[in-house]
Amino acid sequence: MIENSFNRRAFLKVLGWGGATVALSGCGNTSVEDGKEFVTSYVQTADYIIPSIGTYFNSTCAQCDAGCGIMGRVREGRVLKLEGNPKSSINNGKMCGLGQAGVQAHYNPDRIREPLLRNGDKGEAITWEKALGLINEKVGGVGAENIAFLTGGVSGHVKVLLKNYLDALGSGHHYVYEAVAPSIMRAANKRAYGVEMPRLRLDKAKVILSFGADFLGSWISPVHFSQQYARFRKADNGERGVLVQVESKMTLTGANADRWLAIRPGTEGILALGLINALAAAGLSVPGDVAAVVKEYTTDRVSKDTGVSVEHIGKLAALLKGRSPSLIIAGSAAEGYAHGSQNAAAIALLNQVLGNVGKTVEGSFSMPFPQMTPSAGSRQALQVLNDNMLQDKVKVLFSYGANPVFTAPASMKLKESLKKVPFKVAFAHYMDETAVEADLVLPLNSALEDWGTVMPEYIAEGAQLNIRQPLMEKLHPGTLGMGDMLLALLKQRRPDEYKGYEDFYSYLRNAMVSNKGALGGANADDDTFWEAALSHGMVKLAGSPVNISSHISANGLVVPAPFVEDSAYPLHLIPAVSASLRDGRNANEPWLQESPDPLTTIVWDSWVEMHPKTAAKLGIVEGDIVEVASKSGSIKAQVYVFTGIHPDVISVPLGYGHEAMGRYAKGVGVNAFKILDPVFDKETGELAMHETRVKVSKAGQRVIIVKDEGPAGGNQMGRKIAVRMSSDKVNLSKEV
Amino acid sequence: MYCFLRLSVLLVGLIFSASSYAANAVQPLTTADDLGPKVEQPIEFPHDRHAGDAAKGGMQINCMYCHTYARRSIVAGIPPLQKCIGCHQSIESVRETPRIKKLFEYWEAKKAVPWKKVHDLPDFVRFNHERHIQRFVFAQNKPVQEACGYCHGDVKTMTVARRQKPLSMGWCVSCHQKDHPVDATSTKTTHGPNDCWQCHK
Repeated sequence: MIENSFNRRAFLKVLGWGGATVALSGCGNTSVEDGKEFVTSYVQTADYIIPSIGTYFNSTCAQCDAGCGIMGRVREGRVLKLEGNPKSSINNGKMCGLGQAGVQAHYNPDRIREPLLRNGDKGEAITWEKALGLINEKVGGVGAENIAFLTGGVSGHVKVLLKNYLDALGSGHHYVYEAVAPSIMRAANKRAYGVEMPRLRLDKAKVILSFGADFLGSWISPVHFSQQYARFRKADNGERGVLVQVESKMTLTGANADRWLAIRPGTEGILALGLINALAAAGLSVPGDVAAVVKEYTTDRVSKDTGVSVEHIGKLAALLKGRSPSLIIAGSAAEGYAHGSQNAAAIALLNQVLGNVGKTVEGSFSMPFPQMTPSAGSRQALQVLNDNMLQDKVKVLFSYGANPVFTAPASMKLKESLKKVPFKVAFAHYMDETAVEADLVLPLNSALEDWGTVMPEYIAEGAQLNIRQPLMEKLHPGTLGMGDMLLALLKQRRPDEYKGYEDFYSYLRNAMVSNKGALGGANADDDTFWEAALSHGMVKLAGSPVNISSHISANGLVVPAPFVEDSAYPLHLIPAVSASLRDGRNANEPWLQESPDPLTTIVWDSWVEMHPKTAAKLGIVEGDIVEVASKSGSIKAQVYVFTGIHPDVISVPLGYGHEAMGRYAKGVGVNAFKILDPVFDKETGELAMHETRVKVSKAGQRVIIVKDEGPAGGNQMGRKIAVRMSSDKVNLSKEV
Repeated sequence: MYCFLRLSVLLVGLIFSASSYAANAVQPLTTADDLGPKVEQPIEFPHDRHAGDAAKGGMQINCMYCHTYARRSIVAGIPPLQKCIGCHQSIESVRETPRIKKLFEYWEAKKAVPWKKVHDLPDFVRFNHERHIQRFVFAQNKPVQEACGYCHGDVKTMTVARRQKPLSMGWCVSCHQKDHPVDATSTKTTHGPNDCWQCHK
């Protein structure tokens, strides 16, 4: 019998020898490439370029709009890794995971490599000459009022060229669209403080009360706020700041808070007014008209409306009264309602009453060169464009830096509106949902191979113009920078004015050098100034301070009563903005897909976050596939049961569910933008992102959720590794 | 039965090994006399003319004049084209020879010369030129050509360089086991590092 004479041991022994022979000859030295591989050699190099040793060049991150300074490590002509630029006052040498993934945007295999012209369902590669000629022909064939330019947030010299191009065409239709933008906050701040983006001094505050502002994760300028937060937690005088986060769905910032309070969605303004009332009762001096407005917000009523217990409201008021200065922040979670502006106004009023204005809420700096300041994007811009397209007012549409087909709610029917536009041009990195709809797709350089300037919207100190410069040669010869394309288009319209500039680089250098006086280089010669700007990756500007108004008024402030229950759609949907995927523009970078969500540890998929009580009521367990249906549509995703959410709320992260874009983004998860109801903020007209009501039903299947979370969080096998305690057992007064 | 089975498994292994060897190695990596493969370069660079002895018509140029990165980096590197041109633009006598004409063609087109690697190690080996040059040339005052020659052979007698030594692990270790003086004046000796991670990291 075989079993007896040729046993397992003998078999393995012989197999081992055989395998070893194969290994020795087959793969032994095959990585040696004598005479096959090329040596890196240069035509000309600087002395500091040494093979195998990295050289660092400064530039500006393009992964989100915060505008952090970056340094790219470049070796043998290739950028390998990004670090933060220590000279940048925004990030001071630090960097986030989203920024780190910037190299994957650059080396991405799905980048478009040549201009594509629609031919039926397919894109046909054409030359740049033909592409630009075609644009010239199309814009020449229609009236100026029928040309529209849709962009994401733009600033710096590209913005200048864009404006000049639109002027040259005679069209003023520039729509600045940002899917996840703090536009309600800008308006509310403007009204309360007189500036759109006051500087927040987290580091000076002793208490921070944040109404759903995820300033450590995805809000405005997270890397900057994280550093201020560190100083807030470990102040020079040794006094540890206390963070209280009030929100309906726990964010990364909420997870870091000393006290996380789940609030009924939309009642943030009521709590703010209730706190003013409680503070007034505790002896804080409150102006008469404010006191009159808030006096009906008794603690009992506020507790009933918001779901925050009387005890916690009392503790919060005592904390705010006892520790000054404090800082109250209104985030997108408080502002995403039809009464979002009122919520923001009520929260700003709390800041004013506490006397924080001028202490932890400071004025900003006005930027010199207003033509380069960032254009504030809004969701309303897309709404207006959509209406114009429906009325056949748009004949030629340019799209740059925005992916509206992906981010617009289904109720807008944007895809159908786009069909009414005869000629659509998309400037794109990937064949994303908008580029797929376009007639002409123009491939952009990646941010690591492009020239440009960026003026960040939120700057901690002074004003600053960031430089974006190539860290390496272009990967694909067929791509062009946005500046280069605009310059080429301008040459068609205003040849006399622009023919002197060979490319965008020469335009940029000339524009910077001829204004060097205002850019802090008055005493330097042209080359020295320019080299210094490139070497630092930025130019510090002398902005003039804009004072903040401290006028307290409750005039016209009405915060509506909490929602009435909707029995058909009993749950509120919170579309969560995650730290890595944001609005989904970076979804094709696999590092971001595979880095676990900080709270749920889920990777490579969407999920529906649900409170255990709600899940129990619906008979749902983790991994159940559910259908989330709103009045505007439905999506299916796996359920993750999580205590960090209000029982009336479910949450689905944004940025997933691409139908195009590339191999890493396409088909991963579901798109929560699509089912948002068309409800708008009453004052600004912005889409109220948190207003969507949904119902949840089991779809039948159950899956195992792919996540990093192991038994340490749940089952610790009797070992008390991480001791868990429910939040109402924590004694805040003892903690502080 | 047992023997047949054992034999058959071994045979399959051998056939595999033979066929994969044949498929992968067109040219043997190391010949009997330890020479590497002949590498065809875009320009047949005459090392003998540049570095050879004056008596034999060489210019006796220091290896590190061109391979300037060897003392600063883990790789010796190839000089940038500007270095070749830097001298050759003022050497009229050879300006019209085919190789130099080709060199200037690359220069005028601003294209790097696509030199091929002659000495390559597997990716799991990390050899550091800088350490060896600092040790032998700068600490022990060994002549440069001797120090480079430990691994690269007598390059000054070659035109296009060809690998002279096996560059195998056993060959590296055979030298690392020897005692070398610590520096030029000391009588103290030590051998090269023999930790695995010195090279395999």
